[in-house]
Amino acid sequence: MIRLNNVKKVYPTRFGDRMVLDGISFELSKGERLGILGRNGAGKSTMVRLISGAERPTSGTVERHMSVSWPLAFGGAFQAFLTGRDNVRFISRIYGQDFERNLEFVEQFSELGQYLEEPVRTYSSGMRARLAFAVSMIIEFDCFLIDEISAVGDARFHDRCNFELFEKRSDRAMVIISHDPGHIRDHCSRWAILNNGRFTEFDDFDVAYGAYKEIMGVADRSLVAADSSFLDSVRNRSHLLEYSYRKAGIDDRFRALVDEAEFARSRAEWTRAHDDWKAAERSYAAALAIYPFERSYWLVLGHAIKEQGNLIGAEICYRTAVAFGQPAQDVAVHLEFVIEQQGLDPRDYPLRRFSRASLPEQVPGKPDIELLSYIFWGTALVADDECFRFLREKSSIDHVAQAMVLDDRYLSQYARAIGAADEEVAQVSVESDHSDQRLDYILAIFFTGLNGPARESLCPKLGRPSDILREILERDLLHDWVLTKSAITSAGYESTRQ
Amino acid sequence: MALPVNENPSLLDSLRVQRRVLGALFMREALTRYGRHNIGFLWLFVEPMIFTLGVTALWTATNSIHGSGLPIVAFAITGYSSVLLWRNMPGRCIGSLLHNLSLLYHRNIKILDIFLARIMLEFGGATISFFVLSLVFISLGLLDPPEDILEVAGGWLIIAWIGSALAIWLGAMSHENELVDKIWHPFSYLLFPLSGAAFMVDALPKAAQSVILYIPIVHGVEIVREGYFGTKARAHFDLSYVLPFCLVITFLALFEVRKVAAKVVPG
Repeated sequence: MIRLNNVKKVYPTRFGDRMVLDGISFELSKGERLGILGRNGAGKSTMVRLISGAERPTSGTVERHMSVSWPLAFGGAFQAFLTGRDNVRFISRIYGQDFERNLEFVEQFSELGQYLEEPVRTYSSGMRARLAFAVSMIIEFDCFLIDEISAVGDARFHDRCNFELFEKRSDRAMVIISHDPGHIRDHCSRWAILNNGRFTEFDDFDVAYGAYKEIMGVADRSLVAADSSFLDSVRNRSHLLEYSYRKAGIDDRFRALVDEAEFARSRAEWTRAHDDWKAAERSYAAALAIYPFERSYWLVLGHAIKEQGNLIGAEICYRTAVAFGQPAQDVAVHLEFVIEQQGLDPRDYPLRRFSRASLPEQVPGKPDIELLSYIFWGTALVADDECFRFLREKSSIDHVAQAMVLDDRYLSQYARAIGAADEEVAQVSVESDHSDQRLDYILAIFFTGLNGPARESLCPKLGRPSDILREILERDLLHDWVLTKSAITSAGYESTRQ
Repeated sequence: MALPVNENPSLLDSLRVQRRVLGALFMREALTRYGRHNIGFLWLFVEPMIFTLGVTALWTATNSIHGSGLPIVAFAITGYSSVLLWRNMPGRCIGSLLHNLSLLYHRNIKILDIFLARIMLEFGGATISFFVLSLVFISLGLLDPPEDILEVAGGWLIIAWIGSALAIWLGAMSHENELVDKIWHPFSYLLFPLSGAAFMVDALPKAAQSVILYIPIVHGVEIVREGYFGTKARAHFDLSYVLPFCLVITFLALFEVRKVAAKVVPG
């Protein structure tokens, strides 16, 4: 049995003491498996080190009445200048075990062959992980501590690790930490959440996971709330980009989607399979739907789309990446390639770079096209063909808006805005997914300088795209959009104003 | 079969674990430093032997004045060997924790063990080197056998004690303060000529003698020389000064180890 009694851990930092674990108590008996969920930096690894005895609590006690392993698959205890074999010998000596028998097991399990005679510093990370896992299995502990079993190594090795650990040693106690809730669900019998130094236990995974998601969600919302003053004051693209960057970096949903996408991409780069690129595209697109200004992902999304043979789609992504400030030299080669593949001369269709101009003078990206289309045409769905022509031909957001106003679709949207036409039906239903996000951006871009209450009272009036257009026209919010303004005037808005 | 847990280990059990851990760390340290290439383990004492031989040759060639009638070879061997003994131990222990923090995941390894293994290695190397060189020069007839081997051993152990306590103290302190590393190098350099390696206390003016005898290492070196040369050396030392001194640094060292162990975060 392992027992933690009111364990506290405080780390001194330059900004004062930081309480990582604040009075944690629990017991773990033989055969029980405890899974711990928590955000990054919640103190999970600290807890594992305290249980292992490698680190001491600031106060409270850790009792161990069974043998406890070091954190598993952890390869740091290897002396890099020694051979794999000498490292096995060292561990055997420390634990008073039969070296020859252990070496035999490690040879057979790690499949490192004669590399065992080479210094560990010459190993690849995969080989190191194989040796680390094999060495972890030679000492038969009563309780295993598992801190993020990494996915290093191929699938077969992974299966063998799982078999060795969870099947052959199913009678042992375990403490498992993972950022992957599925892993914890499958291998544990008890669950706990570590949050703000507090430890909460659950007997049921679904309850635990529900609480975990709530913690993540609540935390995210509180961050957004704290930051909304910033969004209120976004006046130009630079602010918007910075805001998006800060927010995306701490949003676990975004990070999860990006991880998923990177995984699919690395596989696709290996297999070159259409389906894998498709999977990468889907995940990147989903991530960008939440944070459309994360420019570097437009670049990789472009690659994923290009690999599937969609040159126009790729061009849209590349142009968007540059419009949002991705360095042009990262993108130029790819864009030129895509344009050449279309049978055109890249010199006729130059790249437009991001500049720190006011919003109407900014180079448009795909999300801008969609946003403007939503306002001026009543739908955020813009066909690739149309979108890419805007991006190629229009040098500023003002140009795009002007072209949209001069299109017939604007007239029907305008009619809806002034109540002279039937309400739009079809368009709205398509728009459910990220409408909150979109409204935030619209408020940030057009309705700047609103204080909290004014904003609150405005939001309900902006339910439909035509409402937004009406508010924009009535408040004359496009006064510095020179081209758009003149187009609106010539389209006859002034005459209906009286 | 699972690893047995001994809830109430006897002192003997604990000593057994301690011996196992120190043995394993010692071998790991030795293998890491000397490897299995060319002469391997032999470097343990060949390295200090080369040092001592070099210094002996230099001193002989320049016919250094050391203020006594003792043969220069004997003087150099006893002097420089003792320098290696007290100077290398702290040198090996300072900063050693940082690269070995991950060892703490093996619960039986404590930070004191990491220091002890290194100290054992240094002690072994310096002692074997001293022993072998003495043997060689004695058999060549360049050196007379020591008059009192036990006294030589006693002096040698006192120097080793000072070196070890200093090594543990500085090693533990260096984990939290990198200044220790910076200061030890110049300090040990300055201490070398003052440590009695290159002179006999008796040859100094009276006033200087009382000052130089505040340095504890000098006492150890004097004892070694008295053991070697007997009354010819006219040694000056005071056990009632040097032994309490050793106890005090040992206490400080263990206190520092305890402090660091409570705070250390394994990497």
